[in-house]
Amino acid sequence: MEDHLSEKSGISGFFSNFGTAVAKGDWAVKLTLLWWGAGYARRKQFVKALIMTALEAGVIAFTFLFAMQYVPKFGTLGTVQAEQVFNMATMKSEWNDYDNSFLILLFSLFSFVVWAAAIVVWMRNVVNVYRLQLQAEAGRHVNSFPEDLRTYLDEKFHVTLLSLPVLGVVVFTIIPILLLILVAFTNYDQQHMPPTNLFSWVGLNNFISLFGGGVTANFGYAFARVLGWTLVWALFSTLTTYIGGIFMSLLLNSKMVKWPKLWRTLFMVTIAVPQFVSLLLMRNFFSNGGIMNTICADIGLTGFLRDIGLISTSYIPFLSANGWAHVMIILINIWIGVPYQMLIATGVLMNLPGDQLESARIDGANPYQTFRHITMPYMLFVTGPALVTDFVKNINNFNVIYLLTQDVFTTTNQAMANAQAREVDLLTTWLFTLTQDYYNYKMASVIGIMIFVICAVFTLIAFNFMIRGDKEEGYQ
Amino acid sequence: MKMKKILALVLAAVMALALVACGGSGNNSGNSGSSGGDAQNSQNDQSGAGSQDPDTSGGAAGETISLTLWGAEEDQALLVDLVEKFKAAYSDQTFDIKIGVESESTAKDTILTDIEAAADVFAFANDQIDDLIAAGALLPISGDMDAVLQNYAGKSLEDIKSANSAATVALATRNDTLYAFPMGGGNNYFLYYDSTRVTDEQAQTWDGLLEAANAAGSKMGMTLNSGWYNASFFLGAGFTTALNADGSTVVDWNGTSSKGITGVQVVQGMQAIAANPGFLPIADGDISNQINAGNVCAVISGTWDAEAAQKAFGDGYAAAKLPTFTCAGQQVQMGCFSGGKLIGVNAYAKNSGWAVLLAEFLTNEESQVARFNARQQAPSNINAAADPAVEANVAIAASAAQDAYGVVQSVGGKYWDPAKSFGEQIAQGTIASDDASIQAALDSLVEGITAPVG
Repeated sequence: MEDHLSEKSGISGFFSNFGTAVAKGDWAVKLTLLWWGAGYARRKQFVKALIMTALEAGVIAFTFLFAMQYVPKFGTLGTVQAEQVFNMATMKSEWNDYDNSFLILLFSLFSFVVWAAAIVVWMRNVVNVYRLQLQAEAGRHVNSFPEDLRTYLDEKFHVTLLSLPVLGVVVFTIIPILLLILVAFTNYDQQHMPPTNLFSWVGLNNFISLFGGGVTANFGYAFARVLGWTLVWALFSTLTTYIGGIFMSLLLNSKMVKWPKLWRTLFMVTIAVPQFVSLLLMRNFFSNGGIMNTICADIGLTGFLRDIGLISTSYIPFLSANGWAHVMIILINIWIGVPYQMLIATGVLMNLPGDQLESARIDGANPYQTFRHITMPYMLFVTGPALVTDFVKNINNFNVIYLLTQDVFTTTNQAMANAQAREVDLLTTWLFTLTQDYYNYKMASVIGIMIFVICAVFTLIAFNFMIRGDKEEGYQ
Repeated sequence: MKMKKILALVLAAVMALALVACGGSGNNSGNSGSSGGDAQNSQNDQSGAGSQDPDTSGGAAGETISLTLWGAEEDQALLVDLVEKFKAAYSDQTFDIKIGVESESTAKDTILTDIEAAADVFAFANDQIDDLIAAGALLPISGDMDAVLQNYAGKSLEDIKSANSAATVALATRNDTLYAFPMGGGNNYFLYYDSTRVTDEQAQTWDGLLEAANAAGSKMGMTLNSGWYNASFFLGAGFTTALNADGSTVVDWNGTSSKGITGVQVVQGMQAIAANPGFLPIADGDISNQINAGNVCAVISGTWDAEAAQKAFGDGYAAAKLPTFTCAGQQVQMGCFSGGKLIGVNAYAKNSGWAVLLAEFLTNEESQVARFNARQQAPSNINAAADPAVEANVAIAASAAQDAYGVVQSVGGKYWDPAKSFGEQIAQGTIASDDASIQAALDSLVEGITAPVG
C-alpha cells in the first residue's frame, strides 16, 4: 500500500483509499473513525470539525430516538395489535402502544438508507482527513473554511448543482421503489391492513401466485392474458401512429396538396385539446347508448350486423365487447397519436439531406424507391431511439386504456373476472384496479416489479440492437 | 461566466424547491400517522389528569373538543345547520367541529387509505360496512357507548334500535353489535315508469313492461353488469349469499333455491329478458344519462334518480316495486339488497364519546325530518317515515314497497367482479341457452365468488 491516495474512481478505488487512510493515517485520522471531527480539529479546521461532530451526533440521535423504534421490529413487521379502552371521565379512547406494520416497513427502510449514507460519509470523511494530513505533511496550503466553501462554486460546482436533485431522487423515487419491492414479499392486502391488522413476510408466495401456483390459480391465467394484450397493444399502437405520422407528413409535404399549413394546423387541434377530454368524449360517443350507436341503429347498420350474426346485442358493443374494444382502442389511439408523430416526422423530413434526394432524382429513382431507400432509413436512423421510448411508454399507457374502457368494458371471461382483470387491461391498469378497488397491495407490487423488469429488458435489448456503433456508417 | 453559474445555481435551487414542495404533501400524509400518535399520547396524559378530578365530566373543563365530520357534498348546508343545533344541545361544552366533503358512496376508499387520518364521524352507504368493519375502521356502538348515550343523550342503545326500522338497523348490525347509526333507508332500487306509455298493470311484470316498451318504440332499461343489480333475479328466486369471517363469500346460485327453482332456470329467465328487443342493458353508472336522454319508458334505479325520472316522464312519472319475471313457468318477484345510509364513528377517533353523540344527533328523528325536507331522502326513523309528506313521495313509497323483498347485503370483495362479468355475459348473450352451458357458466361464477381471499 502506498502513502498517496489512488486517483482511481469507482468502488474499488473508494475502498482502497479508505484502507490506505486508516492504515497510514496519524492518530488524528484514526480518531476520526470514532469522532468524525477529530481530523479537522487537528488541522485547525474548527468549523468543519463542528459540522462533522454535529452530523455524527445527528446520526446517533436519529438511530436511538427514531430508528430503534422501528428497525428491531423489521423482522416480524410488528406483533402488538391495536387495542383501546374507553375512558368515561374524559370521553376519550385510550390505546395501547400498538405496532403499525406499514410504518415499521417504511421507517426501517428509511433508516437503512440513512445508515448507508452515513457509512459512505464516514468513510469519505476519513479519506478527506487523511488527504489533509498529506497536504499538511507536504507543507502545502490547507484550505480554510471560506476557501472550502468557495470550491463548491468553482471546481466542485457540479456537486453543488447535483446534490439537491440527487437528494430528491433518493427520497421521492428510490425509497418508494424499494418500498414497493419489499411489499411484494409481504401479505399486505385487504385482510391485513394497518393500523388495525398487522401484515408479515411471506417470501415468494406472491410471485408463485402470479405465475399460476398458489391458491388463486386465476392470477397466472390473467397475468398471461394481460401481458399478451399489453405487448400487442404496445406494438400496434407504436407502429400505427409512427407509420401514420410519416405518411401524413409526407402527404402534407407533397406538392400536390394545397394549403398544407391549413391542414397541418387542423391536425394539430387534436393536440390542443387535452387528451383526457378527447378520450372521455370518444368513450361517450362509442358507448352502448352513445351517439354512434344511435346513428348506426338509425341507418340500419346495427340491424344488418345482427342479421349477419356479427353481434347479438341491440347495440354495437364498440367499447364493451372483447375484440371490438381492442380494435376500437387502437383506432382511437391512431387518431390521438398520429398528430404527435406527424410533428416529429415533419421535423425530420425537413432535415433530409437534399443532395441525396437530388442525386436520386437525377438517377431516375421513382418516389417509392426514394422513400424506400433514402427517406425511411433516414427516419429510422433518427427516430429509432424515440421509437423504443414510445414502445415502453405505450406498455404503460394508462390514460388511453383507462379513460376509454373504465365503466364501459366488462369482461365476459369468468376466469379473468375472478382475478379482477379485464381483457383490455394493461398491466398498469390492472395494477391500478387491484390497489384502488381491492387494496391488494401485495399483488400490485409484484405486477409493478414485473412491469419494471419487462420495460428494462426490452429497452436494453432494443437499444443495443438499434443504436450499435456501426449503424451510422450503415446509413451512409 | 459568473452570471451563468449564478443562474444555474438559482435554477438548481428552484428545482430542488419544487422537489421539496412536491414531496411536502406526501411527507405530510406519511407523517400524519406518527404525529397522530404523538397527539394521542398527549391526550392520554390529559386524560390521566382528568380522571384524578372527579368533578370534571366530559373532559377537562373549558377544553375544546375537536371533531371532524364527513358528509356528502349535497348535505353540506344541512350539516352546518345540524352541527349548530348539536352545539346548542350540548352548550356546556366547547366544540370545534370541522365539516368535510366525502361522497357517501366512496367514503370507504378514502377512509381505508389512512384510517388514523380520516374523519371522526362520517356518512357512508351500507354496502361498505363489511369492508370498514374488517379494516377495524368502525367503532362498535356497545357497552361504554351505550352508557355515554344514556348519560348525555338520555336514550339507550335499545331506544335507538327501536326508533329506527328493523331493516335499517339490520343493515348496521353485524354479530348482534351495532356498528353505525341508521341515517336513512331507501338506498335500494325499484321501478320508475312513464304511466302514459306503460299501464300500472304492465308495470307489475317484465313481460308487460317489455310489451309496453316494444309498443311505444322505447326501451325498458336495467343495469345487468353489476352484481348489485343482477342479484335481484337470484334473490327473488330464493337464493342467498353469506359472508365468511375471513372475508370470502358463500353463494348457492348454481344449485337449487329454497323455492325449488334452479339457478339455470333463473338464468334462462334473464336471457329471455336480455334477448327481447324492448330491453336496454345499461352500463353501470349510466342510468341517469339514459333517463335524461329519453331512451327509456321504464327503468330500474333508486331514489337518487327521482328528479331525473320526474323530468323525463313528466305527468306520467310513476314508481313501483320491482316487477316479477317469468321463471320456471311461474311469475317470480324480484328481490334486492336492501340499502340505507349510515353514519359511523371512526374507531381511531380521539374524542370517541363525543363523536358517538354527534353521530347519534345527526341521525335522530329531528335531523332525519330536516334531511327529508332539505334533500327528499327517505328516513330510517319510524316516526319520521310516518310523516304524511314522506308517505306522499312516490319514489320513497316505491322504495319502501320493494324493501319488503330486500335482504341484507352480505357479500365479500370477491363477489363484485365475477357477478359483474356474469351480468355482462347475459347482456351480450354470450352464454348459450342450453342447460349444460348455463350450468357451466354458473359453476364458474360461483367458483370466482367463493374463491379464498388473498
